Amino acid sequence: MQPIELAWLIPVFPLLAALILGILGRKMKEGGGYIAIVAAAASLVLSILVVVQVLDGSFDGADGVINGVYEQSGTWISLSPTYKFEIGVYVDQLTALMLMVVSIVSTLVIIYSISYMGEEGGRKRRYYTEISLFVGVMFGLVLANNYLEMFIFWELVGLCSYLLIGFWYHKPSAASAAKKAFIVTRVGDIMFMIGIIILFTTFKTLNFRDLFSMEVSGSDLGLLTLGTFFIFGGAIGKSAQFPLHDWLPDAMEGPTTVSALIHAATMVKAGVYLVARSFPLFVQTPETLIVVAIIGGVTAFMAATMALNSPNIKRVLAYSTISQLGLMMLALGAGGYLFYNSMGSEGYTASMFHLMNHAFFKALLFLCAGSVIHAVGTEDIRLMGGLGKTMKVTSFAMLIGALSISGIPPFSGFWSKDEVLATVWSAGSLSWVFVLLYVLGIATAFMTAFYMFRLWFLTFKGEPGESSKHSHESPKSMTLPLVILSAFAAVSFLVLFIGSGFGGTVYFEEHGSLSIEGVLSGIFSDPLTYVSIIVAACGVGLAYLVYYKKRISSDVFVSSNVTRAVYSLLQKRYGFTAGYDAFAEKIVYGFSRVVDWFDLKIIDGIVNGISFTLTRTGDYIRRMQTGRAQSYATVIIAGISVILVLLYLLGGLR
Amino acid sequence: MIPIEYFLALSAILFAIGAYGALTRRNTIVVLMSIEIMLNAANINFVAFSSFFNDASGQVFALFSIAVAAAEVAVGLAILLNLLKTSDTIDLEEVNTLRW
Repeated sequence: MQPIELAWLIPVFPLLAALILGILGRKMKEGGGYIAIVAAAASLVLSILVVVQVLDGSFDGADGVINGVYEQSGTWISLSPTYKFEIGVYVDQLTALMLMVVSIVSTLVIIYSISYMGEEGGRKRRYYTEISLFVGVMFGLVLANNYLEMFIFWELVGLCSYLLIGFWYHKPSAASAAKKAFIVTRVGDIMFMIGIIILFTTFKTLNFRDLFSMEVSGSDLGLLTLGTFFIFGGAIGKSAQFPLHDWLPDAMEGPTTVSALIHAATMVKAGVYLVARSFPLFVQTPETLIVVAIIGGVTAFMAATMALNSPNIKRVLAYSTISQLGLMMLALGAGGYLFYNSMGSEGYTASMFHLMNHAFFKALLFLCAGSVIHAVGTEDIRLMGGLGKTMKVTSFAMLIGALSISGIPPFSGFWSKDEVLATVWSAGSLSWVFVLLYVLGIATAFMTAFYMFRLWFLTFKGEPGESSKHSHESPKSMTLPLVILSAFAAVSFLVLFIGSGFGGTVYFEEHGSLSIEGVLSGIFSDPLTYVSIIVAACGVGLAYLVYYKKRISSDVFVSSNVTRAVYSLLQKRYGFTAGYDAFAEKIVYGFSRVVDWFDLKIIDGIVNGISFTLTRTGDYIRRMQTGRAQSYATVIIAGISVILVLLYLLGGLR
Repeated sequence: MIPIEYFLALSAILFAIGAYGALTRRNTIVVLMSIEIMLNAANINFVAFSSFFNDASGQVFALFSIAVAAAEVAVGLAILLNLLKTSDTIDLEEVNTLRW
């Protein structure tokens, strides 16, 4: 029995844990948190075994492996021999990558939760139940072998996200943030569903293997474009891309651990994963790929601008997440467009590499933020400061995360962000759109470095703020995951140099296998690399001057009318929050009222009108029933006479 | 030999008279009598066609019909007696309980 044949067990452990905790957790120590850890760790071990087998290629001999993809499935619903829905697991390098990311981050986050959620009392059982459920369905989403199964788990992770954002549902802001997250992502989910329906009606199957090996031509290509567009719509909702990005900052109302696991490292990656998973379909539809790239670039830029002046430590990280997800989308769009023009598929690899690195450093940053919030009891960075002295481990871990996300070599974020930008630049030779997007990407890189170090300096350096007086380092169970994650965030780039490199394991169609020297010289002989390094360094330097040395007063950002207007525009999130509300109130509610009027007056009017007419007519007609036998007989004879006359005239009697 | 049309005309006239009586008279006994006239109009048709086609089955039917008519009158008069007993009238205009 090879480990890969047990891949279906990976989601089962956390789901079982959720079941057990849901029923019995109340009586357990720590609300059953240890069971959640054991389940996540079991999944982690099994994931590692599976991933190792996938990456070293030794699973090729196993049953069910075709073309480097392990698939194990059974029929779930059979409508006819040709129309059927399957349920099963589908393991390739992309799945392996996601398994790795989800299992490592979830295990560490749950360990961290023991201390972070330690004071929640009776609510802990609910927390661990929901988070175990989330981990299980996230594995299910990653392992699904067809779109329908994926969609079911897609909705389930959305449900868990809703439950955990609203964990403190007694706070009105948390309750409404949970509803907002659910409803806004639902817009994307509906589009995903439309995409699935289009694919199913066009190709009669939803299995990845069948869809990806299909030759599409003629009018089907138009439908495929529509299908991929709507599938990308699902990704927009889940990965918080423009214009459905506004739920993610509000989702920070949940516990920080939830933000780290669901809203930074795993669930929001599901959208990127969906596009990457559907990549064989997307590369056949260049129109959709351009949309993907534009949405990604615009999101990356917009979200980075909003992070510049947010006073809330978690929201800065949330905007940063949106921005980085945008970069991944941008890389997928640009990379797919390059592949469509037979110019290689590095964009895919770059995006997935960034996805992995981002999962580690963003989870790290969130957990650091959680550690800080745990210590000072506020999320407002204006009330913090000087925490570096009391919280050495946290501040050091967060520094690594910040360096990594800013793209300072040699930390992991540098390598992947550089590859993303290089992909976009080389796509620039095909269309001017990508040149524009490259500029947005570079601007994003600058702003990322700036806002991350603004956050870091304001939190850990300078004079102690009013909340940081009684700060203390967090307990071991919180700092241990920080240390492990910061190790990952610092060195996860090493996968570039192991074996045939990252491009040799996670790739699309074309096997990129460069030697170490090849990778290094490829990166460092490119002038663009230095552009991104310099830009990142400038961002860090500006933050250093403004928020550490105070050489430049931060008042400079609000001194003139123009900058003040921009400042407040950013604080209002470009008016998207108000825009959503206005949309809901004016358009949706207005439309509902029209529909209500139509229902009351027209639909009900028709029904009531018919019944009124019939009762009225009945009232008149029943008077014909006089009860006199002779009048009935008269009618009968008259009728027979008429029939006879008619028969005679029409010739029926002859 | 009297042509068949004469018989048919007689039959039609008798039937029309009977129908008129059955529909217009308020006295139930008169209505019953009118129905008898209509029956006899039919019998005349039977006999006339029987002789016209030289086929005896028409006459058999006529005899049969007379027998049935006798039975029918017995039943009709029985109903009439019951009507008189229950509603104290034999006026058809008064017997209209099965109305709306």
